[in-house]
Amino acid sequence: MNRLDYLVLIATILAIPLYGLWRTRGSASLGQYLKGDASIRWATIGLSVLATQAGPITFLSMPGQAYESGIGFIQNYFGQPLALIVVCAVFVPIYQRLKVYTAYQYLGERFDQKTRLLGAFLFLVQRGIAAGITIYAPAIVLSALLGWRLNLTIWLAGGLVIIYTVVGGTKIVSITQRYQMIVILVGMAIAFAVAVYRLSPDLSFQGTLSVAGTMGKLEAVDFSVDPHKRYTFWSGLIGGFFLALSYFGADQSQVQRYLAGGSLKESRLGLLFNAVVKVPMQFFILLLGAIVFMFYQFEKPPVYFNQPAYQRAVESGYGPQLAALQTQSDDVFVQKRAAIRALSSVSSNLSSNERDVAMTKLRALDTQAHQLRSRTKGVLEQAGADPKSKESDYVFITFILQQMPHGLVGLLIAVILCATMSATSAILNALGSTTAIDFYRPLIRPHATDHHYVVAAKALTAAWGLMAIGVASFASLVENLIEAGNILGSVFYGSILGLFLAGFFIRRVSGSAVFFAALLAQTLVFVLFATTNIGYLWYNFIGCATVLILAPALQQTIFRNTEASAGA
Amino acid sequence: MNAADDKPDARSWRKAYGLALSLFAVEVVLLYLFTIRFS
Repeated sequence: MNRLDYLVLIATILAIPLYGLWRTRGSASLGQYLKGDASIRWATIGLSVLATQAGPITFLSMPGQAYESGIGFIQNYFGQPLALIVVCAVFVPIYQRLKVYTAYQYLGERFDQKTRLLGAFLFLVQRGIAAGITIYAPAIVLSALLGWRLNLTIWLAGGLVIIYTVVGGTKIVSITQRYQMIVILVGMAIAFAVAVYRLSPDLSFQGTLSVAGTMGKLEAVDFSVDPHKRYTFWSGLIGGFFLALSYFGADQSQVQRYLAGGSLKESRLGLLFNAVVKVPMQFFILLLGAIVFMFYQFEKPPVYFNQPAYQRAVESGYGPQLAALQTQSDDVFVQKRAAIRALSSVSSNLSSNERDVAMTKLRALDTQAHQLRSRTKGVLEQAGADPKSKESDYVFITFILQQMPHGLVGLLIAVILCATMSATSAILNALGSTTAIDFYRPLIRPHATDHHYVVAAKALTAAWGLMAIGVASFASLVENLIEAGNILGSVFYGSILGLFLAGFFIRRVSGSAVFFAALLAQTLVFVLFATTNIGYLWYNFIGCATVLILAPALQQTIFRNTEASAGA
Repeated sequence: MNAADDKPDARSWRKAYGLALSLFAVEVVLLYLFTIRFS
């Protein structure tokens, strides 16, 4: 990175929060602080919802994911449009009618105080940890590659977010997310164009896609019902539906985004915008990863993209072993490049049989390259240079730093930091609001003024921000924390969704029956998590289904004499 | 807003959901055609 990159980076990440602070200057009522105001329109809500979900992992890890395993991950988003339509039709009208600040207030109105506190508590536990991971994940990669100190990177992203989220509340989160998302989309579109431009002139764009397809990188849809396959149309549609329904319907970090503005129409339009654009957006991000993969079929890649970890292993005396692996990798690279050129340049003259043989050879060479990377990782582990993040997370950022022109490098680092700030601000805003409205107001100071609750919400948002930075600072002590963060959501979401669906769709059920059903469902998910190897997307379905089955059963037996309230 | 006012509103939202669902179906079909073409 040179001075121009730093100038673009600093200007981009500072300008948006400063503009947001200017737009939200002056004091806000409790309603304005927690829900924004009526001037927030559907486009801002739509971009805000998109930015909250995307986060830095999307832009750092997704292209690397496609580089490694192809674009099949897109199927994980297939349940989302359906879930968003259900949220528009069922959840949003109820939240708007009850004029709630947090989703968990609905549980209090429909059932009782303990059910509300349970829903809010489950949300705070998992999102409190997730906030730290959202800051830590990009910080570890950026600090390793740019030579920045890890704690400085964590404070750079986290400190700024805490300041503007505390000062401006929901409105500033929505405004900054809108412009941060525009920077992200523009930056990624330019990166896509540059990556296509930098492809080898030996192949047309269509030829490039054909070869990428031959090497198994472009299988977007797989209708297989094989349960051992990681990404299929069916697992994405069913498992993804329950995950998205819980995330958009019952996670305050999203609920707060679409309740901003206060109009049912604007909220629904913002969500429908996401239902339509999410799949194409993820497709282009994954396709960018496949294009970067094709770029490295003609330009020699490092045997291991996490070069800082690689260098640590060299310095620990593992240089000769790693140099031997690099030599073998270079050799495989040359053979692969020759095979691709032969396949594409004379493909019209090859018989079908000869073409099949050439493709098989190419796939075998690609498998060899994979194995060499795995062996390199093994050497790194032996050397104690154990990388804390996945190697594929370093693919896209390495491509940016080595292949993009100056200025654009700064913009794309800004994209990653903007994604970090937008996702973190939404989470902190939701954590502060939930603690203030669902715990502080009913349990500690029930009859204070609105101004008092605004101050309390600000203090609690700041406290959650500092805790997130604390989690991020100590995250390196925990192995596989990022993966754990992904699983964490699914472990809790099923039970939370069950509470809400029981409220919406089961007419005669009491708070106690739902409360204990959720506790039992959560225990069941914990037991399954500890003792089995089920794909984590299924926890959403299991947790939710258990609440919906147990709640009426408990109502008819143990809580038969407890008065059941009718549905919302 | 009374119930009569709600009806046309509910109808237009159902149309909006149908449109969003149709667009999603088109996206899946296009992705499937992409898969067939390049795999």
